[in-house]
Amino acid sequence: MMKNRWGDIAFYTLTGGIVFFSLLPFLWFIDTSLKTDLEITSVPPVLVPSGSLQFYRSALERYDLLHYVKNSVITAGFTTLITLLISMPAAYALARLRMRFKKLFLYALILVSMFPQISIAGPVWRILDSLNLLNSYPGLIMPYVTLTLPLGVWIIASFFQELPRELEDSARIDGCGHFQTLWRIIIPLAAPGVFTAAILVFIYAWNEFFFALLIMTQQRYQTLPVGIALFQGEYTLPWGDIAAASTIATVPLVLLVFLFQRRIVSGLSAGAIKG
Amino acid sequence: MKIFHSVRPVTLTRMAVSVLSSLLVLSVFWVAGCTKKPEASITTIRFVTWKPNQPEMWDEIIKNFEKEYPTIKVEREIGPHSSTAFHDLLTQKLKNRSKDADVFFMDVIWPPEFASAGWAMPLDDLFSSAEREKFLQGPMAADTYNGKIYGIPLFIDTGMFYYRKDLLEKYGFQPPLTWPDMVDQAQKIVTGERKKGTEIAGYSGQFKQYEGLVCNMMEFILNNGGHIINPETGKSSLAEKQAVEAVQFVRDKIIGHIAPKGVLTYQEPESLDLFVQGNAVFHRNWPYAWEVSNNPQKSNIAGKVGVTTLPVFPGGESHAALGGWQLGISSFSEKKEAAWKFIQFVSSDAIQKLIAVKAGKAPTRIAVYNDPDVLKVNPQFTDMKEVFMTAYPRPRTPLYPAVSNVMQRYFSKAISDPTSDIQGEARTASGEINKLIEMAK
Amino acid sequence: MRFSIAARERLYAFSLLTPCFLFVVTFAFYPIIYSFYLSLHKIIIGLPALGQPFVGLHNFGELLHDGIALHALLNTFTFVFISTLFELLFGLVIALAINRSFRGRGMVRAAILVPWAIPTVVSSQMWRFIFNDKYGLLNFILYGGDTTLYRAWLADPLFAFTAIVAADVWKTSSFAALLILAGLQTIPEELYEAARIDGANVWQRFKNITLPLLKPALLIALLFRTMDAFRVFDLVFVMTQGGPADSTNVLQFYGYKKIFAEGLMGYGSAVSVFVFMISLAVSLVYIKSIGSKMLSEKE
Repeated sequence: MMKNRWGDIAFYTLTGGIVFFSLLPFLWFIDTSLKTDLEITSVPPVLVPSGSLQFYRSALERYDLLHYVKNSVITAGFTTLITLLISMPAAYALARLRMRFKKLFLYALILVSMFPQISIAGPVWRILDSLNLLNSYPGLIMPYVTLTLPLGVWIIASFFQELPRELEDSARIDGCGHFQTLWRIIIPLAAPGVFTAAILVFIYAWNEFFFALLIMTQQRYQTLPVGIALFQGEYTLPWGDIAAASTIATVPLVLLVFLFQRRIVSGLSAGAIKG
Repeated sequence: MKIFHSVRPVTLTRMAVSVLSSLLVLSVFWVAGCTKKPEASITTIRFVTWKPNQPEMWDEIIKNFEKEYPTIKVEREIGPHSSTAFHDLLTQKLKNRSKDADVFFMDVIWPPEFASAGWAMPLDDLFSSAEREKFLQGPMAADTYNGKIYGIPLFIDTGMFYYRKDLLEKYGFQPPLTWPDMVDQAQKIVTGERKKGTEIAGYSGQFKQYEGLVCNMMEFILNNGGHIINPETGKSSLAEKQAVEAVQFVRDKIIGHIAPKGVLTYQEPESLDLFVQGNAVFHRNWPYAWEVSNNPQKSNIAGKVGVTTLPVFPGGESHAALGGWQLGISSFSEKKEAAWKFIQFVSSDAIQKLIAVKAGKAPTRIAVYNDPDVLKVNPQFTDMKEVFMTAYPRPRTPLYPAVSNVMQRYFSKAISDPTSDIQGEARTASGEINKLIEMAK
Repeated sequence: MRFSIAARERLYAFSLLTPCFLFVVTFAFYPIIYSFYLSLHKIIIGLPALGQPFVGLHNFGELLHDGIALHALLNTFTFVFISTLFELLFGLVIALAINRSFRGRGMVRAAILVPWAIPTVVSSQMWRFIFNDKYGLLNFILYGGDTTLYRAWLADPLFAFTAIVAADVWKTSSFAALLILAGLQTIPEELYEAARIDGANVWQRFKNITLPLLKPALLIALLFRTMDAFRVFDLVFVMTQGGPADSTNVLQFYGYKKIFAEGLMGYGSAVSVFVFMISLAVSLVYIKSIGSKMLSEKE
């Protein structure tokens, strides 16, 4: 019994430590966002904030944060929708149908997810330039879809694999064509997997920085990560504003994570299980 | 089979409904984002600028312009103020041949690049030579490329040497004329203050690996009689004795000695912060720092600040780096006349005076320096006029960004590593700079 | 009859894959090939008068002599090696810890996922603030109120590099943990029971059961983390901009500066092709060793 208790104490301490360190920088930033100018620049730092909301006000008013949020919602939202619409059929084909070159497709998809962004950034920029799509929502959404397709296909395919083989056979016996089988039977059953893929794709698109930086040079279209990375006043480094803006930018994601942690965990580990 | 029959078609309908409704919601956002305002007979020009320190002043300027020209509206596009970040963003727009940028700010080092790339339009037809005479020649030269003018200088920046009047008085010092003197005074003051229980740094400047580093280091080099580019041969002289000595001085006497090692992460905001909080004796910065450090709302040392020319090395002449911002018109703009009217307005005597009085920025029109109202708020302009007139430009080449990166790299490596091989690094950097200059010929 | 059913199924499968295929070819494969094409030319955005002459492998020749690029390569490899090592280590510890069922496990898992979910630019700003030489939390934790001891972490080449590694490890250990956790959960409990009966202690159970059976999961985590670490950009852009003294200059950042800041598109493309080749080589090695196992199940 004694041994168990020590083991328990060690375990809870370790777990507590892990949670603390995971959340510490984030909590510190929230703490900072609730301070006043003087409290932030005091040396040594003040630990307990005064609860001032001045930075939230200035982040929203002077820095027009909601505008960036809108752009992020649009690009991440549409990316998720389109990626899902394309991933589902693709995943089905790869997971359930017989075809040649399957390995090639899968390898190709895995490779795409590993391309360093810099290797395709320049040419993608040129392509968008020639199509006059720079500084436009489609201009960012299309590369995003491309980059998230491997993720979407991977997760949805592994969920498709879980479904019993007999499904297609029984559907055919009941008179369904290929297409009907897919849309009316398979997809509804894999809905949890699709939902998980949606969350992961959304988070990826929301957090993406490199392409957003390059393709959206007009403030009008810039997304949240670009806005936050370029936060700098003329002669001030407004830590309070940055902290407030960052908090606003991440609270939705943190909520997503807390609500759907089980799905996220299963989605991310889907690949590992298959391995 | 069981599984097949237990699938509810309702699930599919529900999914379809949610997909369609999210599409609908998103489309509303999209449309809202894409709606253009009706133009009528109003011309709207887009002015690309950085985040100003005095946004109210700029609001006032734009309001006054729109009052005088009711058919022109100015829409501002605000970018980051870090010169490097602003450059990358602005050039991205121009590479995109974006028609949404009509007037933009250019740092003093960009006109050759913008001119050669065809991004800024030549202003010779609009900007008469009679008008040109009224401006300081240094910035005018910086705005000229291959004999044509590509920008109108709005205000000029040069490196200025700030010091704590009160501390120097307390220890019986006159403002130092040479860098070694400054180090000496700084050490004495720091030690003296420490005995009384106050920690203070000797010197604060900008030494992060960015464009500002080039300005700071160039000043040290020039004031030792060296150059970055030899004015006669047009080749890099970074590896010459005077240049190497100056860099060595910074590494061995300043960084980590009288200046805290943290200055290697400082741009203008952080270095000024150290000074206005009362934690540095000497400070190098642009003219704007005068207004900030004497403003009791922003500074702990208001009224205790003195400013003078940069110290030299024995035998050298004092030179400050030429900075400042110019206004240019995009070659791709479809509203060039309206853009020119805006530029004329903003660079007029009246507005330059307003900017000088409200923001402490040094004007580029010579006449404004003689205005008593301006001098009342900025008494230092009288003494510093010479400095403005003789400010020294950085290398002028269309490939300046690449050249600057080479210099930034070299300087940062040289001063942040106490064991660096300055001569060797200087030679490598010189070679690369010469290669780039050759390419641009 | 059988023959045409199979053929129809193949056709159906291809049609399902077509949209995916189109996107991937247009925005991934074509750009890579175009990058190759660009790298064989001399293209300077600031000097359009020079045109875009074909220069063959000249850019690559220059690249091999480019000290800064090679230094950036070294920085990148070092970063990948060290950060992946720590991420796997921490990931393993975390996975072992949350493998147990306990009350509040969901909350703990969510908390661990927070670093992963936060945009990298936001976490970069957070860490930049923590490492600040005056207001930074790290200085306060280490030295309390004694401000004379405060260090400028990002001013020192070595510490700046460490800071980037620390920020990356913080952000992605949880991702590694999840991949390893999945692997842990496939290990049958009976094996541990049998070992316990045989008198094996915790360490022996770990060494002889857990580690070997975790190998596939560890390899996958290694693969993903290596590829991501290779592409590090956001952290460097926000925290150090490659400095001080190029100590945190990584390949992607160098390529970005060359192409987008300096306008040297031909040379910058050569850098990006170089990055791609290395990335490709590493990923092929990984895919070979674990890929066949993964894909065989999907056939």
